Amino acid sequence: MTPLLEVQGLSKSFGGLHALSDVSFDVAAGEIFAVIGPNGAGKTTLFNCLAGAAAPTSGTIRLGGERIDGRAPHEICHRGLARTFQLVKPFRGMTVLENVKVAAFSRHPSAKQATTAAQAVLDRVGMAELAAVDAETLNVAQLRQLEIARALATQPQLLLLDEMLAGLTATESAAMCERIRQLPREGIAVIVVEHSIPVVTSLCSRAVVLCFGKVLRRGATREVIADPRVQEAYLGNAQT
Amino acid sequence: MSSFRTVTMVTAVLLVVFAAVSGNRYYLDIFIFTCFYGTLAVCWNMMAGLTGLMSLGHALFVGLGAYSVAWGVSVHGWSPLVTWPMGMGLAVAAAFVIGMLCFRYGLRGYFFAIATLAFGEVAFFMVSATETLGRSDGMIMPISSTDIPGQLQFFEKWPYALIIMTILIGTIGVGEALMRSRTGYYWRALRDNEQAAEALGVNARAFKLRCFMLSAGISALCGAFYANYVAFVDPRSVLGVELSIQMLVYSIVGGMSLLWGPLVGAAVLVPFSILLRDYSAMPGGDIVVYAVLLAVLALLLPQGIAGWFVSKWRT
Ligand SMILES: Nc1ncnc2c1ncn2[C@@H]1O[C@H](COP(=O)(O)OP(=O)(O)OP(=O)(O)O)[C@@H](O)[C@H]1O
Ligand SMILES: [Mg+2]
Repeated sequence: MTPLLEVQGLSKSFGGLHALSDVSFDVAAGEIFAVIGPNGAGKTTLFNCLAGAAAPTSGTIRLGGERIDGRAPHEICHRGLARTFQLVKPFRGMTVLENVKVAAFSRHPSAKQATTAAQAVLDRVGMAELAAVDAETLNVAQLRQLEIARALATQPQLLLLDEMLAGLTATESAAMCERIRQLPREGIAVIVVEHSIPVVTSLCSRAVVLCFGKVLRRGATREVIADPRVQEAYLGNAQT
Repeated sequence: MSSFRTVTMVTAVLLVVFAAVSGNRYYLDIFIFTCFYGTLAVCWNMMAGLTGLMSLGHALFVGLGAYSVAWGVSVHGWSPLVTWPMGMGLAVAAAFVIGMLCFRYGLRGYFFAIATLAFGEVAFFMVSATETLGRSDGMIMPISSTDIPGQLQFFEKWPYALIIMTILIGTIGVGEALMRSRTGYYWRALRDNEQAAEALGVNARAFKLRCFMLSAGISALCGAFYANYVAFVDPRSVLGVELSIQMLVYSIVGGMSLLWGPLVGAAVLVPFSILLRDYSAMPGGDIVVYAVLLAVLALLLPQGIAGWFVSKWRT
């Protein structure tokens, strides 16, 4: 069976800076996969390449067997890949429902159907009571939830979550983890970028570790975490 | 408010004011110019306030409409049935080309504003130097002593009022319908955060172009009307940067977050500035008073008159 996402030899440089070099990995349908690595390792750049926000310098990306590298973000979205932003990007001049409606329009061109679909997504993520609230008045946890709600409203097969737990309280992040854990049951594979090792080990079966844009280790999460090189790269940085 | 109710309310207000002023040529003239500038400001703000595309070259499109009519009738005797669509077609095509260039290279914010300003100024100077378009003296259109409805020539002003009212109501109607559809949501999403919009499936370039072309087409329609109403066009009145700035001022004063906000701005400022100009004792005094009023309104009502009204009404 072909994997849902297949990344081969992906590189991205900004001028002389090699943000990603020769990164390869794949993600199966229904899997929760982790991308970990110290600050500046290239995790967000990887997401930008996958989602079309940045064009890779070389390498191929296949979603469901078809190449998506170099395609425009809106096309990749229509093919079933959705992403959230590490720095949340709400539509500030709109309500929560309207924010989600924008995303729902990608599958439902009529306004009526888009409203119904958006409301269903808000119910699903437990934000229904915030529907009429202006997005600019939301707190951090709610903004993160809104990012996820919007991404889900595009009905993705694969969802990229970039540090969705950073800055959340313990209760909030436990709720968010629970939410993420359910996604494969809804037919959505997930790639998470996450710094918290306990969260990664509990959520993800497999992981890839990036360090200075290169793959340091790839495989089952427990083995990856136990690797001394990973410990050094990761914890050495995390303690600063 | 549903779009139907907005259109009904605008129509009702316009009809009441029209009925009140229709007996007086002077007031009717003010009413016509208010509708003219109101329509322009609304379609300008469809780009600036609702899609986040600040154009400072909109006079270009008004000029294309106005000069199509003036040139068409003076040189060839063409009917408005030919020249109006021609002007609109030219404007839509020009917006397409300018938009493709700007959006292709990712111009936004100030850069888009300056690029459009440059295109507008180029058109201004080109027309000012073109013999067949009357250079900077402008073109006086042929006028007969009797009404010629087929050339939109009327002695009375009320037919012109009805025409521009129809254009205004049509603009509000189309705009309201769009704002409630996918297109309107996409426009606002692009205004608020283009990157997020693209990630959620919005084809940014296509939807910005759509907005630009629609706005340009309506501007040209207004320009065509202006030519037939005033029977005289010159670069200063229909291609000057002042005209583009006026659209911006009415929008800011009226409220840029609402489709009909700029109409409120025009409804307050256009009659005020005309009356001030005609009745001020001291030359230049009207401009000082107008400027002070603008400053006061901008300070007191940063959301615009319509924005302030809606926020009061909601709470
Ligand atoms: N648009 C850009 N132009 C130039 N350099 C960039 C750009 N985006 C990222 N970089 C650089 O690429 C490297 C990787 O950045 P990236 O944001 O992908 O790291 P990250 O792993 O997401 O880090 P963090 O954990 O802090 O989010 C960094 O050195 C960063 O400065
Ligand atoms: Mg990052």
